[in-house]
Amino acid sequence: MIYFTDGTKENFLTAFLLAYRDEEALLASSETQLVLGQECVFVKTDLLRAKKAEARLAALDGGCLRELSLLLRSGDARREQIAFAYLKFLTEMRRPVRGMLAESAVLDAIKCLEAVTLEIHRMHGFVRFLECGSGALYAPIAPVHDICDLLVPHFRARFPEFPFVLHDVPRRKAAVYDGKNAFTAPLERAEIVLSADEKEWQALWRRYYRSVNIPSRERLKQMRAELPLRYRPFMTEFL
Amino acid sequence: MLDERRLKILTEGARFDVSCSSSGSGRKNPGGMGNGYPAGCCHSFTPDGRCVSLLKILLSNDCIFSCKYCMNRSDLDIPRASASPEEIAELTADFYKRNYIEGLFLSSAIVKSPNETMERLVRTVKLLRIKYRFHGYIHVKEIPYADEGLIFEAAKYADRMSSNIELPSEKSLKLLAPQKSKQSLLLPMKQLENGRQLVKAERKKELFLPAGQTTQMIVGASPERDGQIVRLTQALYRGMNLRRVYFSSYVPLVQDSLLPDLPAGQLREHRLYQADWLLRFYGFSAEEIVPENEDLAPDLDPKCAWALRNLQYFPVEVNRAPLELLLRVPGIGGKSAKKILEARKYTTLRPEHLKKMRVVLKRARHFITVGGVYAGAKDFRQVRGLLAAAETGENARQMSFFDGENGQFRLPGGKAEENFRLYGTKETALSALTGEL
Repeated sequence: MIYFTDGTKENFLTAFLLAYRDEEALLASSETQLVLGQECVFVKTDLLRAKKAEARLAALDGGCLRELSLLLRSGDARREQIAFAYLKFLTEMRRPVRGMLAESAVLDAIKCLEAVTLEIHRMHGFVRFLECGSGALYAPIAPVHDICDLLVPHFRARFPEFPFVLHDVPRRKAAVYDGKNAFTAPLERAEIVLSADEKEWQALWRRYYRSVNIPSRERLKQMRAELPLRYRPFMTEFL
Repeated sequence: MLDERRLKILTEGARFDVSCSSSGSGRKNPGGMGNGYPAGCCHSFTPDGRCVSLLKILLSNDCIFSCKYCMNRSDLDIPRASASPEEIAELTADFYKRNYIEGLFLSSAIVKSPNETMERLVRTVKLLRIKYRFHGYIHVKEIPYADEGLIFEAAKYADRMSSNIELPSEKSLKLLAPQKSKQSLLLPMKQLENGRQLVKAERKKELFLPAGQTTQMIVGASPERDGQIVRLTQALYRGMNLRRVYFSSYVPLVQDSLLPDLPAGQLREHRLYQADWLLRFYGFSAEEIVPENEDLAPDLDPKCAWALRNLQYFPVEVNRAPLELLLRVPGIGGKSAKKILEARKYTTLRPEHLKKMRVVLKRARHFITVGGVYAGAKDFRQVRGLLAAAETGENARQMSFFDGENGQFRLPGGKAEENFRLYGTKETALSALTGEL
């Protein structure tokens, strides 16, 4: 049976309970293509049961809920199945399992988690803010994983006095910090007015980027490994 | 605002400086802009494969010194430019605000006099910290012959400082940088280290170089062997408590009869960084890595070369070997060792487990048994050839080791510094220091 979830934690935990004893269970997000001839169910959230499952999992391993929340943000199409296999194994073992790296369920989960946390780390560097006329900062981004709100604490600690918006363009949502509070909101398109000298600073940055390179030591493969092409469309130095 | 022409000149003058990571400082933000990022953060990568973390720039390239290898030396007819402290501070703050950079790496040619130059560096840093309320990362160069008071003033505001020892021996320094002396380069380093120890001992609350000191030297412009360079590096780590020693392979930028015509090549630099890693994270001593009057083998990484000279330790059983020994197995790095230690708590590891855990066995298989099974070469005489062949294929990937942010590399047990273990004695370290430099 395929269990389709809507991407929320509560819905996933409901599906987790439903699928737990099903040997052939497959968990998937609702965007996944339906398979002909396979039995499937669209899981309806049961808040009470989800809460219970959450408490039970937390009792077994305090860190697993944070891991679950990161796993569900992954851009990997198999994320629900990976999270399901990991939590099922954890429940069977009745203790934290993240060190059991010889187990496929654990390895897959760790690999998936690392991909998400790596992107968070990378985005701390690769985000490019545009200064608006009002002094607020606006950054369009297109991360592989759904992480735009997880970037807020980093920039909030760094720029406590500047309001900023991190706009996840493909997911049409934004993480906003208004100078006091942070929240997420749906955002289709942003109309922004750039500050007077924004273009000049961008030109200076491009000049700097070109000058600091040593042309005789070209290593494009290395560059691409560290800064994959997918991040470049919003980075000032490549525009 | 600084204009593009001067920005280009001042950046190109600084781009060969390699000690520009942004790790090691956890400076907090009490209001204003910026904070530290202890693991370091790369903001971009240039086509040469290097990370752009800091705004690496000179205050001026108009130098009164004439070091033979330097592209800014006084007797060259090149475009000269200077920026004011205010211009650099503004540029840093505006780049930082847009998240282009993690902070500032500020250096300068020696303009008019060492003290005047150091004063301008201090003024820039103070402007940033006080007027712009900037708490991002700042790395400042120690100018040789500048007064101790000025250098200490900079250290109060900077996160890291560095004095380039330039060349690996005093003799070469005399020949190629006659206006600099061993004393002028090492003294500020020593004074700042003493200052750091004092602040630490008095448990003062203010920050004093939270990210410590580094240095760099040019490799291949003078005749020193790798053995001497590795020993000097070890002595600098032990005697000066440096965080990093960087190597810059010689690139002929200016012509001089005292300088080689050809570049030193990046492979030598790469091997030296591998040796440096062995010193800092793997518990090796310089004496184990390479004899004093020899170079590192170009076809093998230094750990493989050591293992082949010390076959009595191998093969090691991955299910039982202590961490120190695992780390000495060629091909097993900090991350793999950590994974093995973690996983073997729960089960007896088999070869397929290692494969699944992405422990690379290309080199390691000749030096380990897994559950008693040996899967290396049957005829051990072939191993050197096999290792060298594996190396050629992996060289490109290995390069990332030293170009990336050094702070991202962690061994089991937390902070890299805590795992910093060196064998040998303080005496051997000091004699290496006084003997050659």
